[in-house]
Amino acid sequence: MLMSTLMPWRSKSNDDDGASTALSRLHDEVDHLFGRFFEDAFGVTPGMTAGDMGWAPLLDVSETDDEIRVSAEIPGIDPKEFDVSVTGNVLTISGEKKEESEERKGNVYRTERRFGTFRRSITLPDNVDTEKVSADYDRGVLTVHLPKTEKATAKRIPVSASKKK
Amino acid sequence: METTTAVDKRTGREVGTQEPTRTMPRYRPLVDIEEHADELRVIAEVPGAKAEDIDINYEQGILTLHARVRPRQPENVNYLIREYGIGDYYRAFEVSETIDPSRISADYTDGVLVLHLPKAEKAKARKVEVKAR
Repeated sequence: MLMSTLMPWRSKSNDDDGASTALSRLHDEVDHLFGRFFEDAFGVTPGMTAGDMGWAPLLDVSETDDEIRVSAEIPGIDPKEFDVSVTGNVLTISGEKKEESEERKGNVYRTERRFGTFRRSITLPDNVDTEKVSADYDRGVLTVHLPKTEKATAKRIPVSASKKK
Repeated sequence: METTTAVDKRTGREVGTQEPTRTMPRYRPLVDIEEHADELRVIAEVPGAKAEDIDINYEQGILTLHARVRPRQPENVNYLIREYGIGDYYRAFEVSETIDPSRISADYTDGVLVLHLPKAEKAKARKVEVKAR
């Protein structure tokens, strides 16, 4: 048996790495606990607590033979407020969901909906034709269509068995 | 009776149990509830639902909201990232008797449903005049 396995504090891998992953795991757990606490106590969902930092919409990314499709549920926004851009191979969806100020005059019993600025970026596979990207907004769902480039359409490569020994 | 669970879209956490009618997951829509001078207003986010697929029912003090959501993608699609589910929205609210059920109305734009629950005449706040002697 190797000595390093008997002495966990001196494992073969870099000590710093081990310490930092343990620490980051602890960090995650504490974050999670706090999230749970606030959620249970005040009905706040994680992601709403970001305040001025805005929020990030959830994404579905799917692929068909000729395009990559990115969709996000962002209900109740004026389509003009969306900012969809592709820089290099990074797609960024951002915008602002404005609160209807007039509506907020009454007593409020529940506020679960999120308002304010949002932003989300994802890295695209490099086989997308950035010139032909289009987006539509229907019933609260934003869909970005990213057509694949010609060369990216899948080609099946035959593997031939070699007869030589 | 078997029960299914209602799921919160953002956290993926179960938020309650419901009686099943279909085997698809059902999501709890996010809502704001406001009280105005002459009505209660429930604003619910049901992105992806068609206006004709939204059922609103008021029976014996319980207001239910059920929005059917059909699959948005063709069947042969290949998901690379899937962060939110697609399925029906369902939520029930207990409403006090002070609303007038016959005048409930709703409008729907861009995935946001606004329900207007007008207060019954007798429930409206009245200003009482104080006479000075």
